[in-house]
Amino acid sequence: MTRKLHSTIAATVFALFGTLGTADAATTVKFWHSFNKGQGEALAKIIAQFEAANPGIDVEAEFIGNYNDIVAKLQAAIPARRAPDAVILEITRYGLFANNNILTDLTPYFDADPLKSDLYDYAREVGVINGKNYVVPFNSSTPVLYFNKDIFARAGLSAQTPLKTFDNILAAAKTISEKLGSEGISGIAAPGQFARWGLVMANDSELIDPTTNEILLDKPNTVEAYQWMASLVNHHKVASPDGVTDEDNGRDAFLAGKVGIMMNSTGNYVGSKKAIGDNLVVRPMPCNKVCSVPIGGAGIGIMASSPKEVQDAAYKFISYAASPEANAAWFAATGYLPINKKSAALPVAVKALETQPGIDVAINSLPYAHGRARSTVVTWMRSTEYKMWEAMALGQRKVDETMKDFAEQTRAENQRTSN
Amino acid sequence: MFPAGANSAMLRKLTPYLFVAPLMIFIAVFTYIPILTSLNLSVREWNFLSSNMPFVGLRNYEQLLLSRDFWNSLRVTTLFAVFSVPLRLGAALVIANYLVRETLSSRLLRGALFLPSVTSTVSIAVVFSWVFSTDYGMMNALLEPFGLGRPQWLQDPHLALWVLIFVNTWKQIGYDIVIYIAGLQAIPRELYDAASVDGGRRWHVFRRVTLPLVMPTTYFLLIISVIEAFQVFTIVNVMTHGGPAGATDMLVNLLYEIGFVLFDIGRGSALAVILFVLLVALAIVKSRIIGSKVHYEA
Amino acid sequence: MKPENRILAVLSLLVGLLFLSPVLYSIWMSFQTADAFYAGEVAFTLDNYGRAIGQFNFARYLANSLIVSGLVTVLGITLATLAAFAFARFRFPASDLLFGATVATLMIPSHISLIPNYLTLAKAGLLDTYAGLILPAISNGFAAFFLRQYIRGIPKALDEAAYMDGATPLQVLWRIIVPLSRPAISSMALYIFITEWNNYIWPLVAVGRQDLYTLQIGLARLYRVNPGEGLIDWPLVMAASTITILPVLIGFLLVERHLVRGITMGAIK
Repeated sequence: MTRKLHSTIAATVFALFGTLGTADAATTVKFWHSFNKGQGEALAKIIAQFEAANPGIDVEAEFIGNYNDIVAKLQAAIPARRAPDAVILEITRYGLFANNNILTDLTPYFDADPLKSDLYDYAREVGVINGKNYVVPFNSSTPVLYFNKDIFARAGLSAQTPLKTFDNILAAAKTISEKLGSEGISGIAAPGQFARWGLVMANDSELIDPTTNEILLDKPNTVEAYQWMASLVNHHKVASPDGVTDEDNGRDAFLAGKVGIMMNSTGNYVGSKKAIGDNLVVRPMPCNKVCSVPIGGAGIGIMASSPKEVQDAAYKFISYAASPEANAAWFAATGYLPINKKSAALPVAVKALETQPGIDVAINSLPYAHGRARSTVVTWMRSTEYKMWEAMALGQRKVDETMKDFAEQTRAENQRTSN
Repeated sequence: MFPAGANSAMLRKLTPYLFVAPLMIFIAVFTYIPILTSLNLSVREWNFLSSNMPFVGLRNYEQLLLSRDFWNSLRVTTLFAVFSVPLRLGAALVIANYLVRETLSSRLLRGALFLPSVTSTVSIAVVFSWVFSTDYGMMNALLEPFGLGRPQWLQDPHLALWVLIFVNTWKQIGYDIVIYIAGLQAIPRELYDAASVDGGRRWHVFRRVTLPLVMPTTYFLLIISVIEAFQVFTIVNVMTHGGPAGATDMLVNLLYEIGFVLFDIGRGSALAVILFVLLVALAIVKSRIIGSKVHYEA
Repeated sequence: MKPENRILAVLSLLVGLLFLSPVLYSIWMSFQTADAFYAGEVAFTLDNYGRAIGQFNFARYLANSLIVSGLVTVLGITLATLAAFAFARFRFPASDLLFGATVATLMIPSHISLIPNYLTLAKAGLLDTYAGLILPAISNGFAAFFLRQYIRGIPKALDEAAYMDGATPLQVLWRIIVPLSRPAISSMALYIFITEWNNYIWPLVAVGRQDLYTLQIGLARLYRVNPGEGLIDWPLVMAASTITILPVLIGFLLVERHLVRGITMGAIK
């Protein structure tokens, strides 16, 4: 009796201090990721299946926050030596860690892995810097354009309304805001950073040249795209500033049926479908000057500081996460692109393609999808872009001046970090 | 009182040091050495990732002083202090003047006003994020029936700082009131009686007797609330993240962003040093004033 | 207490309620369903608390906050009392210098040590532990200063009598000074506890592991990372906020009552 009491107390104390280790000698892989809600559940299933197939490996997954949060937390973790073993990193922002030797070079693993030839070229390419493979893709995406059919109908717009150019989109958004503004519905969600990058590319420009790493933030077409985006908020007032100060607010409002149009990652497909059901329509991103969309998403990297056997176990996991069965399940559960050539033939993917209209829009845009720069400075550039965008979208600073200033700062930072 | 012998004399000499040692060690490790560390880091280039931290001289200070963000933060923080401090002190003095009487309702009201100053700042920030949210917030629900529209309090660069000033005042005013009440209670009754006999009206008494006699308290509150204003962080971090468009990017928030979001450790440390010099200067001014003017405080 | 005008009294109470209305309303809202909140209806539920405690780990955060604030208070008061006793009762070489260094910490803004303390604890491997949260907070120059002033007001004759009886300094501190300083010690303990309870920036940078979040960090994060699909679940957030406010609120009300009792007892005598 007392022994039982003692052991209960001991267990409570251990649990309280969080030092309860794993009982057996399993290799534990600490894994940081960015998926919660429905995406988090889908990832948990993949992990559970992996663990069932590999009893010697225990994947300890933790949801950290969005991609920015992961970058910040990982950077803070380095001097504290509290980095995980494997981590999801957004595919333009891992250069900082690769170039500082924080991530281990996965090339030897990847070259020996049959997975390599199963991955689509576009997916394989995003993990490479200077010929070395630092991350294996897990979730790939392009932005797409979502709209709410019901809101369109109530505003008198047909579901066939053209949404090909910036003008098309503005016209539709204006109609919605005029007709339904009194009900608290706005035309369009302020584009998030991924969509902003896409709109710059649709305007035949780039933020940073993916091959030469030249900074193109002040190129006329870039500036023009930002002018248009900012005007949605501060001039035409068809997008709520709520989505400028926190881009998740824009998505949440779309999911709540308060916004007509949203441009966002295809990874939001299933969540949106769940939220607004058959009213969800998916279209490709506009082709304002050209058809071009960015490839986004994230891959999983492994820390150079982890012990060899943990790295081996971690690689097994990331290889499994990109395998046909895991990838097909992930595609069906989220809407992220299939990255494995064998995924699409699996029943779960076939079923998703049949029953989830629009889930293939991103797949169909792959022919004109492009990888983006991933030099060290991209991380800084993306962190700083939020502030710049806020200032422009809320009408605090002129777009051309701001982009010029932003470009100069980014060049200076680029100089500083490449020294 | 001590065991006899040479050791005991030694021990007796050591006694006070043993008593102060634990506190001194902690103060040294977590307060004084960090000042030196910050100075050292502020002349280096480091991002937590690289294994070396090269010396770069005063470049971090130079870049900081040339950056738009630093001057914006200094401007925003100064605005915050210039508007929030007189608002707090003025309102607190008037209220304290009323609540100084010892009645049950006065005591209860004092308690109600004091409560926020001991309450979690994060909770307050979250509650007021709701109060000032555009579509479902309390403020707009109150304003709309009066045809005052639905301002986007926290998304409008012209309004957000005022919201933060309001929230900070709401949180801190109870403390100011309690200090003022202590100051008012220290004023000898006879002075009031004399002023009333002179036929002074209420305002007259307030201006001629109360105001000058609580001046030391006012100085004290003035300085500590200015120092506080320069250290505001929690409400900014929770409610606005320094936005919209930098409108609430106060100095400590900028420090946090440079240090723990952009990981420019050198520049972050340079900012910490600048802020340190500023605040220590203010604190020295405070101790001079308190030393010379406040006789009955404490 | 003086008799008072009833109308004025009622009016003051109304003003007090109006002043606190945002917080009072947030507590009320925490017992509503999200659907009812958005529809502007009333539907009582305890589910928000259930979810905050169960699904979102607020029981753990509450325990963390209690452990951290409690230990900081106990250790902080101990260190401050030991030092205050020495500063009040002993003249020793460097005593002025050390006391000056203690008082000077009041002027030093805490943000200067943010990055250095992070690095110190990182090197010691203490980030993401309770120790990492507690250690930087336990040296409290203000408490040491305040207690030293208080102890100086206690007649020295009491100490001397005890020394005559063969007491050691530690015994004098424990048997004479501490009991007589109880009001000062408890008010300083309350001050340290509340300050630490509401501490935000340090746990924000020092804690990465979710199971070590304090209430402040847990609440800020629950508000920032909307865990649901669609609009933010305000009633859930307010339940978490109420959990965060409650312990200090209860403490405050207890102390208030204590104060009231003290005042009334004085009036009877």
